[in-house]
Amino acid sequence: MSDAGMAHLDCYLDQVRRYLKPLPKSEIDEIIAELRSHVLDKLGGQQTPNQVEAAIAALGSPREVARFNLTERVNAEVEEDRSPLTVLRGIVRLAGLSLYGAFAGLVSFAGYGIAASFLITAAVKPFARSNAGLWRTREDGDSYSLALGVMSHARAHQGHELLGWWIIPIGVAVGLILGWLTWRFGLFSVRLMRRSARRGRV
Amino acid sequence: MNEDPSDDRRDDAPRQITGRAQELSKWETEVRRGGLGLAVLAILWPERLYGLEILRRLDSQAGMTIPEGTIYPLLSRMKAEGMVDSAWVEADAGHPRKYYSLTDPGRQRVREMAQSWRAFAQGLERLLAPMEGDFR
Repeated sequence: MSDAGMAHLDCYLDQVRRYLKPLPKSEIDEIIAELRSHVLDKLGGQQTPNQVEAAIAALGSPREVARFNLTERVNAEVEEDRSPLTVLRGIVRLAGLSLYGAFAGLVSFAGYGIAASFLITAAVKPFARSNAGLWRTREDGDSYSLALGVMSHARAHQGHELLGWWIIPIGVAVGLILGWLTWRFGLFSVRLMRRSARRGRV
Repeated sequence: MNEDPSDDRRDDAPRQITGRAQELSKWETEVRRGGLGLAVLAILWPERLYGLEILRRLDSQAGMTIPEGTIYPLLSRMKAEGMVDSAWVEADAGHPRKYYSLTDPGRQRVREMAQSWRAFAQGLERLLAPMEGDFR
């Protein structure tokens, strides 16, 4: 292939590589080598930059190619091991691919974060009964805010505790339900992003 | 001013035909997508092949034209499922090619999928038989 054609192909593959960054390096190298082999096979003996351009265009944009690969691999991992950690890792890998991916990442972190806060607060309450719980505190002026967790004694005295000992059963229930819902949302999102990437495949 | 309402109907006719064509195309895509996995495994039945060859045979033998970049993730998933195996081979073309071949579980799977597909297709054929005369 001519130097210009090869430079064009390398540039395309570098872009694909950037989008594939969430995958392990060995997998990225394998995908890139296969794409390079595909383009060289497609070209046969033809070498002009236009022919290289046409062969690359038939593969799809770097973002699309990365999306096909990432969604398929993440989905396979998640179907094999549906633990919350695997699902969350999958969501993080897909977060950079689309707006929905970023949204799913944000919702997952918020969901697991709030769920963990409820569970931790419920677990700590017996050992810090006067400053662990759900609090309503007065902010500047007439506004109030809710705070969940372990507060400093000074701040706890300024606020009003809402649930008392009820934070233990309610915190455990809310934490588990919210964690389960977030996990289901993550599974749904991984499958949805894969379906979306496959749309129009045939 | 009196306008003939049939004019509106005439204007709507091309739109309805386009809509029906789109629905038919969408349905065809769904059917082909359902058969894609079986088609890829069946193409690998007689011999090992590399990606571009698989794409070309899908097109020429089954009329399935798929975006080229999508075949490798599909093959990768089949490999993860143990249906196919792959190996890099130094080719006469001057660059290495990754060849895919069916594994024993892959052969078993494609047999089962083919049986299931044939039973499904025969059932549909029976249902379509009374319409045979209308196609001529």
